[in-house]
Amino acid sequence: MRKVLLGFTVAVLAMVMVLPANAQTRKERKILWNSQYNYEIEPVGVGQDGTKVFKVWGYGKDVGAAVMNAKEAAVAACIFKGLPGGAGSAPTPPICSQPNAEQIHADYFDKFFEVGGKYLQYIAVTNDADPSGEDRIKMKKGYKVAIYVQVMYDALRKQLEADGIARRLDSGF
Amino acid sequence: MKRLLLSISLLALAVIAFGQAKKPIIMVVPSDQYCISRGYKMEFNNQGLKQVLPDYKTALQTDPDLRLVITKMGQIMADRGFPLKDLEQELKNLEQERAESSMLTSSSSGSEMAESPIDALKRVAKADIIMDLDFEVKRQGPQKYIVFNLKGLDAYTAKQVSGVAGAGNPSTAASPELLLEEAVLSHMDNFNAGLMRHFEDMFANGREVKVQIKVWSNWGQNLESEFGSDGKELSELIEDWFADNCVQGRFSLSDATENFMKFEQVRIPMMRTDDKGRQRAVDSRSFVIDLRKYLNGLGVPSKLYLRGLGEAWLILGEK
Repeated sequence: MRKVLLGFTVAVLAMVMVLPANAQTRKERKILWNSQYNYEIEPVGVGQDGTKVFKVWGYGKDVGAAVMNAKEAAVAACIFKGLPGGAGSAPTPPICSQPNAEQIHADYFDKFFEVGGKYLQYIAVTNDADPSGEDRIKMKKGYKVAIYVQVMYDALRKQLEADGIARRLDSGF
Repeated sequence: MKRLLLSISLLALAVIAFGQAKKPIIMVVPSDQYCISRGYKMEFNNQGLKQVLPDYKTALQTDPDLRLVITKMGQIMADRGFPLKDLEQELKNLEQERAESSMLTSSSSGSEMAESPIDALKRVAKADIIMDLDFEVKRQGPQKYIVFNLKGLDAYTAKQVSGVAGAGNPSTAASPELLLEEAVLSHMDNFNAGLMRHFEDMFANGREVKVQIKVWSNWGQNLESEFGSDGKELSELIEDWFADNCVQGRFSLSDATENFMKFEQVRIPMMRTDDKGRQRAVDSRSFVIDLRKYLNGLGVPSKLYLRGLGEAWLILGEK
């Protein structure tokens, strides 16, 4: 009996110690979704000259809002995080290599990413229809959708260089 | 406060307007492995030893894939503000220059141009950063894919400052030309990010160069001879000078005897203010000129021999 009790106590203690490490509250999950670092990107190939093509996921209350979120994430990923390699394409570095660029130039990026902001200029959606099938997931509150985008990477880089946000390769020479 | 702000702004403007560091020259060169494995090579007997060297001219004249890749890379680099020096054109220019130099004479006396053997030896295609390129179209059953390898090498320190390598996606339908273009487009952003890190390091910690101190055999003294009021050995005095003049005193004396000193990882400032108050770019030559002036003050004459933007030799004893 003693052995059974001891075993039970050890099992309960182990669960108590392990659970908080793995458990994610809904609030934490939401923070993660909204985080500017949490871009879900899947490369689909090598883009034409000066462009990047990939599949990007977005979240929103409805499909339209989720698509807009995905477009924002696509441009933000090119600027702050870079793109992973895969499907024949090598990894792409972020345009802003400066650490904490999003905080240092917060005012600029607030305006850049505002609703209908300039970031939309650098996005070409490869499919205009609403995502369907496996690219459209209905969640408890809203949708998670994936879109295929082509980002005008070189044009975006040149704009940020001209605005003094990103450093030119030949600056100083 | 207003005055202070104005002074800072004017100073910054002056640095931007006049302070431009020396821009490195970049050139794409097919790797030795690429040339030799495809038969673009020259073989000769060097005192009984068979030596194989890459034949760049034949490679560039006969390999359309190589030309395609170099053109694509050149286009991308020019877009980033670094137009590449073209190896093919440079080889043509050198041939032309060689022919013109041998024919040119002065109109009044008919004198030829002065040219030492070393001047003739120096007439080769040079760059400060070499993009060492190697690629191969491989097959896997009916599919083709590209293995791409690009290294950015500092010509003087021999350090790899950037590099990308990898295999592309296999394809049955795409032509090798398309796959090659894809490989270049896919890798160049990453390569340029590596270059950017190198340049940022250069601006933060100084340009990395190599300096060698040598001695003429007829000098009669060497680097162990004592100079100055406190009778220090010459090598010690030179080392102290490097410690005082390198950015954050950073250099390494990798090897030395009484006849030579080899300084590597010498960090020299990118800019300095000259006697007229102008911001001037610094290279290994202007850095070593200062050392020569210092040694002249100690009664040690010397000859400066430049090997490029990032390497210079100072030969002690006479000019």
